[in-house]
Amino acid sequence: MLQLIFNTDFFFSILRITAPILFATLGAVVGEKAGVSNIGLEGTMMVSALFGSLTTYWSGSWAVGLVVALFCGVLVSLLMGFFAFNLKTDIILTGIAVNMIGSGGTLFLVKVITQQTEGKALASTTSLITAAHQIPSWNIPLIKDIPILGPILSGHCILTYVAFLLVFLTWVLLYRTPLGLNIRSVGENPNAASSVGVSVLKIKYIAIGFSGLMAGFGGAFMSMYYSMGWSLDMVAGRGFIALAAQAMGAGEPVGSMLSALVFGFAQAFSIKVSSKGIDSNLVTPIPYLVTILGLVAFALVLRHRVKKQHSASALEKTAK
Amino acid sequence: MKKFAALLLALVMVLSLAACGEKNPPAGSASASGSTGGDEAKVYNVVYLVNGNLGDKSFFDSAEAGLAQLKADGRIEYRTIEMGGLDEDKPKWKDTLYEVSESGEYDVIICGTYQMPDFLKEVADQYPDQKYVIFDDNTYAGQSANVMNITYRQNDMGYLMGIYAATLTTDTSIEKINEDAVIGFVGGVDSPVINDFLIGYIEGAQSVNPDIKIDVRYTNDYVDTAIAKEYGLSMINDNKCDIIWGVAGNSGNGAAEAAYETGKAYFLGVDSDQELTLSSDLAAITLTSGLKNIGNSLIWFFDELDAGRTYFGQEVSLGLAEGGVGIVTDKNFATYASDDLKAAISAAEEAIKNGELTVDSALAEGGPDLAVQLRTEVQP
Repeated sequence: MLQLIFNTDFFFSILRITAPILFATLGAVVGEKAGVSNIGLEGTMMVSALFGSLTTYWSGSWAVGLVVALFCGVLVSLLMGFFAFNLKTDIILTGIAVNMIGSGGTLFLVKVITQQTEGKALASTTSLITAAHQIPSWNIPLIKDIPILGPILSGHCILTYVAFLLVFLTWVLLYRTPLGLNIRSVGENPNAASSVGVSVLKIKYIAIGFSGLMAGFGGAFMSMYYSMGWSLDMVAGRGFIALAAQAMGAGEPVGSMLSALVFGFAQAFSIKVSSKGIDSNLVTPIPYLVTILGLVAFALVLRHRVKKQHSASALEKTAK
Repeated sequence: MKKFAALLLALVMVLSLAACGEKNPPAGSASASGSTGGDEAKVYNVVYLVNGNLGDKSFFDSAEAGLAQLKADGRIEYRTIEMGGLDEDKPKWKDTLYEVSESGEYDVIICGTYQMPDFLKEVADQYPDQKYVIFDDNTYAGQSANVMNITYRQNDMGYLMGIYAATLTTDTSIEKINEDAVIGFVGGVDSPVINDFLIGYIEGAQSVNPDIKIDVRYTNDYVDTAIAKEYGLSMINDNKCDIIWGVAGNSGNGAAEAAYETGKAYFLGVDSDQELTLSSDLAAITLTSGLKNIGNSLIWFFDELDAGRTYFGQEVSLGLAEGGVGIVTDKNFATYASDDLKAAISAAEEAIKNGELTVDSALAEGGPDLAVQLRTEVQP
């Protein structure tokens, strides 16, 4: 039984399931570092998924589609930033609005643009997109020939590798560049940052733009690799899972990647388990249960750490 | 930069206003009612309310085609009102229902889908002399004496799909088909209607091969194509399914994508002829589709009406006999099915039509338990 579940397919699928969540998670990480809670990731991903898919169809090139998906992600986020930072709307409400646009708005747009509908509320671009429009996978030379590791690591979509590469790049951005320092300082204490001449507004725009870029990647992954074409509400909560992963990973790129992987593991596990005939009603909640348990564990560890610090400082005081 | 952003914002607002502008109530229906009184064969005046838009190649188009057929035969005059399918359009659905009911010029008002019953019940109760037909819904069946509910026996259709899939899954002369007698089913949610498809599918498959294994998974979602794809991949890789029936709305297409990507399986469609709606790559591996023929059911309704039989205040469940459901038998079906298989399917169809064979239903009493029992039995 265990051998049947934990095979190379399984580990391969963990990476595939994690990738779109990881993109959005990185968006959430950078946003949160600058003190910007971007809960509109879900909607941004849907908009990017739609335009990425449609542009690929028109241009015949997935690269063009990807660029447009990224552009749309950034555009939607900047628009969100304009409302939140310049017009001073509540950023959570703005995020909710973006999520609604991601659902109802894309449906409206796809009907206006393609004049195609597929029954009731079920709209999709599935009739347009063929395998030739999809982002290709990459069999890594040499690595693909290694037993066990080869079939797990090789043969993924190019974007899957990009996702994990971006974890490293995000870490570099945050901790090894002046911009990263600014982002963190704006998140920690905007007043202090602005007192030393950092433009808080500019940094916030950069942060939300970056998170939009990540959501653009995530959206493109969804409609241009994971599924053939966009369909209504296809992101299906991955943008929200990403927020949980960001919180669980304490807002750090690597930690959040690990949390995203935990979610990917849980999802892959629930699918594998269901192949053995376990009731789907029992299997479906596993990923969400794992998320909740993870958050609880994180909170407990945090509390423990804070307590320890307290007692340590108390000891110090008494020692004095 | 700031100006640009403001401009962009204005543009978005204008666009959203334009979207609202569509919500004008359909004008013109207040025109004087035409005299509809015929002498011998009455020509019915019908209005068809679409709570979405035509062009879906499925539900609404099917009903429209049926009405067009009736009109061509000189049996009805009809008018179609497209009300839009968004949440924002919902108030319009009710307004339009009121409007056409108030006008009193239509013999029958037709609408459909699970989204309409609440509006219809409210309106129908206020116009007791107006006749209504609602298809593919039985929420308030029998509660209003002037409303007829048409539902579809998807279990009959599932039975034929089961025969087809169970026969092909061991036919290794077909490329991609393996020798294991395992087929798959991706359902939307574990609900009576989906299980109705499933029960027919299982019983049909068992009629061909009593030892058939069927991998049944529910996505618990009608929109998440990716998760359906994951399930499809697991069915193909872990349990060697080579034919998967997707009964999960848009997300069912994910199973088709899994079949395409692995190159080891085929897909069966549902509701409409998915060989026409999927892109060429996916259509090529779609062997057939189970159909709900809304149009046929409307023709059947007028046949009955002409024969003096009415079913207002009742729920009528249409199966193969009335042409309410069926399966696609051209294109890939014709290519892949042997003559024996075609004959077997026609024989089963005949047997169901003339009542020699009854397929169990998940909508009947004890149906949900039967579904659980059957799917445990066939679990690979």
